[in-house]
Amino acid sequence: MIDGEDVALLRRSQVPHLRRKIGIVFQDFKLLPTKTVAENVAFALVVTGHSGSVVREETDRALSLVGLTHRRGHFPRELSGGEQQRTAIARALVNKPRILIADEPTGNLDPVTTWEIIKLLVRVQELGTTLMVATHNAEIVNALRQRVLHLDHGAIVRDEKEGLYAA
Amino acid sequence: MSRLGYVLSAAWQGFWRNPVMSVASTLTVAVMLLLGAFFVMTDRGLQAAVGILESKVELIVYLEDDAKPTDVLELRGRIEADPAVDAVVYVSKDEALQRLKEIAARRPELAIETVSTNPLPNTLEVKLRSAQETRRLSGLLREEVGRGVVYDLVDNPTVVDKLLTITSVLSIGGLVVLGMMLFVALFVIVNTIRIAVHARRDEIEIMKLVGATDWFVRWPFIVEGMLVGAFGAFVALAAIGAAAGPVSNALIGFLDILPVSLGPNFMVQLAAGVLAFALLVGAGGATLSVRTHLAK
Repeated sequence: MIDGEDVALLRRSQVPHLRRKIGIVFQDFKLLPTKTVAENVAFALVVTGHSGSVVREETDRALSLVGLTHRRGHFPRELSGGEQQRTAIARALVNKPRILIADEPTGNLDPVTTWEIIKLLVRVQELGTTLMVATHNAEIVNALRQRVLHLDHGAIVRDEKEGLYAA
Repeated sequence: MSRLGYVLSAAWQGFWRNPVMSVASTLTVAVMLLLGAFFVMTDRGLQAAVGILESKVELIVYLEDDAKPTDVLELRGRIEADPAVDAVVYVSKDEALQRLKEIAARRPELAIETVSTNPLPNTLEVKLRSAQETRRLSGLLREEVGRGVVYDLVDNPTVVDKLLTITSVLSIGGLVVLGMMLFVALFVIVNTIRIAVHARRDEIEIMKLVGATDWFVRWPFIVEGMLVGAFGAFVALAAIGAAAGPVSNALIGFLDILPVSLGPNFMVQLAAGVLAFALLVGAGGATLSVRTHLAK
């Protein structure tokens, strides 16, 4: 169930509209190499049919939220790993989703950058977006002390309100 | 960038991302359209020729000298009632002789001996609306021979018959060749678009993740297919335009008995038809191509 809708009953034509309520961030960023930072972020708005002025405003807002306004004209290959992941987070947030799902968002990053990204994600959560992070990083889980769902072969084996990482 | 702007620029980039493939499919479409236009034009020309010849098709009914005028009138009425008949003209023996004398006066090699009796029969000249009906009508009239009114029948529909055969063979052959060309063009377009889809698979993945609809993903490829069609149409029409002058001059020299003119109106219709067909084939091929990809 997402936002009162049973996703198992959704028609194929309704799936895109569900996806607009969910922002997704990946371990490998999935940025388009031929587009600049701003174009990568704006892409999510353009392909969901927003007008030019909305695209510009929302792109600027998302870039300033992740602190990349000064890098807007650069291409992904000119950015550090952390900056690339921040671009991906800006793209995931630009459609103002209800939920942000991050799949191993720090898997490709060094420890310092990892904490930058985690801080950014916590900030997003504080601004009112439900945040769901899939991770194998015990340090992150133990430091955040948030609700932990422990999955084993696809089944939930543990659900704790302020849980810790358990191997 | 707006939605429409995105679709158009993605289609344009897609076309030029793989220029060899795009140009190959454009030329295939152009060849198909050229063949199609050639068949349409030839068919039109032959139909015009058939029309002209048809207007000259006549059946001549020779009447018995001693046929009763009421019987002749009755026969004439029956022939006129047939929907395939345009007009029936009665030519009397005397008129026929008069005509013969007029022809003889202009042609010195023909000398008319003074004859005591007029050997020419009274005739009915039957003008037909449609050459296809000649055979049926002459069959009907042939049954009248020997029943006291009709003495003999002259029909000469062989030229029209041959033209009609050529037209139908050409139409069927044209359709078959056109069908094969359509298949080849669709095959090439489907593969061109498939390569374009493959080149942009990351972009498509992200589009779907952020909630673009299937139609939004499809449109750039369909427009790219239509670009292939439109360029093909322009190539074909340019070739027709360049060839039209010399070819029609040659045809006029060759077929000067037939005043066949296709006219500017027809050429505008042909150009519009070619363009519309090309766009349809391009869009159709692209739709076929992305349908399989998006179903995944």
